[in-house]
Amino acid sequence: MKVKELLEHGFEALSLPDGDREIDGVYIGDLLSWVMGRAQMDNAWITIMTNVNTIAVASLADTSCVILAEGVDMPEDILETARDKEINVLRSSQPIYETAVQLSKLVS
Amino acid sequence: MKELSLNILDVAENSVKAGASLTQILLTEEGDVLTLEIVDDGCGMDEDVVRSVIDPFYTTRTTRKVGMGIPLLKLACEQTGGCLDISSVTQEADPVSHGTHVTATFHMNHIDFTPLGDLTASVLTLIQGHPDTDFLFRHTRNGNVVELDTRVLREVLEDVPLNSYDVMRWIEGDLQEQYEALS
Repeated sequence: MKVKELLEHGFEALSLPDGDREIDGVYIGDLLSWVMGRAQMDNAWITIMTNVNTIAVASLADTSCVILAEGVDMPEDILETARDKEINVLRSSQPIYETAVQLSKLVS
Repeated sequence: MKELSLNILDVAENSVKAGASLTQILLTEEGDVLTLEIVDDGCGMDEDVVRSVIDPFYTTRTTRKVGMGIPLLKLACEQTGGCLDISSVTQEADPVSHGTHVTATFHMNHIDFTPLGDLTASVLTLIQGHPDTDFLFRHTRNGNVVELDTRVLREVLEDVPLNSYDVMRWIEGDLQEQYEALS
């Protein structure tokens, strides 16, 4: 499914420069160096980390989008960086597990 | 990084790449505060480059040459309430006394403190990979010291390379012994 289609399922777009990007699989993690080496290209990546390194890791791992769980806030200057670097950032008000369960139903 | 020792390895590798003849890795624990310093006498960086290694997205060129080493170290110390500072003098600015000084402070009792990990393994990896450059490793814990200075070893060993098997095993044993006495 496309990243922008998640908006119909309660996800909120914080940065959506490339909404047509396809999601292939999901990765979950907060330890950035760990995620950097393990998240696969096109994965939707669920995390609660909201600093600029999150955007850098999403860029390096080439994930389709970052999904901030637990309704955490990402500072506006970092969202600007995300838009500038064409990184999709979405937000869910649900905890990480519930977000993952929801995605498992949506993403094949 | 799951362990700070891996982060230290990453940053110290940058020092070697900067052409350092001596790279110092200094850890000082005083109560709850850990100060990590990585000091080299390499080619140094100008202000723009210093900014580029702190900010993962700051680039002066089309391809990113700098790793995530410093941004992740910065994150690791800031999430314990500490901070990271880099000062650097380029070879052009001072042909005699140049190099880079990275200082990171951590609060070890903070719940998000990353464990130190296997420092001995990091030191061995550095020496193994770069037997012709010098390293000074010093870990001070409440006044007690673990230390390894390859310049001293080199004097004793003369022509024997530092990364020969027997020397590496000796260094490993020596550091382990010093750490046992420390704890």
